[in-house]
Amino acid sequence: MHEWALAEAVISTVEKVYRENGKKPVAAVNVLLGELQSIEMDIFKYGLKILLEGYPFGPEVFHFRIEKAAFKCNYCGKEWLLEDHSGLEEEEREAIHFLPEAAHVYLCCPFCKSPDFKLKKGRGVSIASIELESS
Amino acid sequence: MIDPRIAIIHKRLSPVKRILVFSSAKGGVGKSVCAAVSALALAVAGFRTGLFDLDFQGASAHILLGAELCFPEEDAGIKPFRIKKNLHFMSFSAFSGEHAVPLRGSEVSSAMIELLAVTVWDKLDFLIVDMPPGIGDEVLDLLRFMERPEFIIISTPSRVAVRVVERLLEMLRSLSVPVIGVIENMVYDHSGALPLPPAGRGVEISTVKSLAERFQVRLLGSVPFSPDLDNAIGNPDALLNSVPGLIIQKIISELP
Repeated sequence: MHEWALAEAVISTVEKVYRENGKKPVAAVNVLLGELQSIEMDIFKYGLKILLEGYPFGPEVFHFRIEKAAFKCNYCGKEWLLEDHSGLEEEEREAIHFLPEAAHVYLCCPFCKSPDFKLKKGRGVSIASIELESS
Repeated sequence: MIDPRIAIIHKRLSPVKRILVFSSAKGGVGKSVCAAVSALALAVAGFRTGLFDLDFQGASAHILLGAELCFPEEDAGIKPFRIKKNLHFMSFSAFSGEHAVPLRGSEVSSAMIELLAVTVWDKLDFLIVDMPPGIGDEVLDLLRFMERPEFIIISTPSRVAVRVVERLLEMLRSLSVPVIGVIENMVYDHSGALPLPPAGRGVEISTVKSLAERFQVRLLGSVPFSPDLDNAIGNPDALLNSVPGLIIQKIISELP
């Protein structure tokens, strides 16, 4: 349930933007959930709903999109997707769920086997945009 | 793109009264031993203490403490491990096991931000942070994200170590970061009589003492090199009762 901690982080960020912009009403928050972290969407949304009690914006302004994880090898330059990795153990998936950088411990380039790769996108929770009402 | 994790770090660290950062620009000077023993000593003295191993690539605090790490419990965040009464612990090793951790700088930063954002510490009197060597991403990010850090600098008497550590002190001074003092570690006791005499007199001319004087910070104490320390690794009680452990305990009990 560390999804709740990340949901709380999203709320804190939106609240900060809300305050810094003269408390203009929040129209939309576009949240990206990176495939690599395997966030449980239902738990995240439920945590968000509970934690939002008392805030001047509700769960209806939050929109979610799953972002596919994509990698590029720093050694051979080839690119691949998370789905190209097979055979990850449950414990390894769990470690990456807790801390996506653990991917560098358990994954390697499927072409040259180098552990030196870059995660191009799809890491974890990020906010693509926060839209405030203009009036 | 906005990173939402940044906004919550302040709240996560708000239950912590003091953050003591054990740091050195030089590797192999005994930061982890000093940090782990200090955390143990504070916990034994009744202070609610956390130990946070931020040396992702060379994590060793769990080895020193003999802690068997598994995935942490979750409760609206991840909960640090309870190592013993009053002592809680968090480390990247909970997720990497004993595997190599080949991270580049930006990945180190991201992992650190994630751990700071999702680790839920209970009320603590002290959070002891065990840093990796150097003045790289971890130190810069710590200064960026952690409010109120107080540095304890570790150096050996080696002139090489002192010259390198001097650069860290220069940077901290230029940023007006509080430095509690310097610990002179792995001092060779010429007399053979342990424990050592007062700080700065472990060697004929203490290079660390003059370093502390130059930067107008306290020399907190001198810790002798002890070949027997290795036998205490993995056993918290033995660590505390080793000759270096007893002196580090004394140093930490006299902290301003």
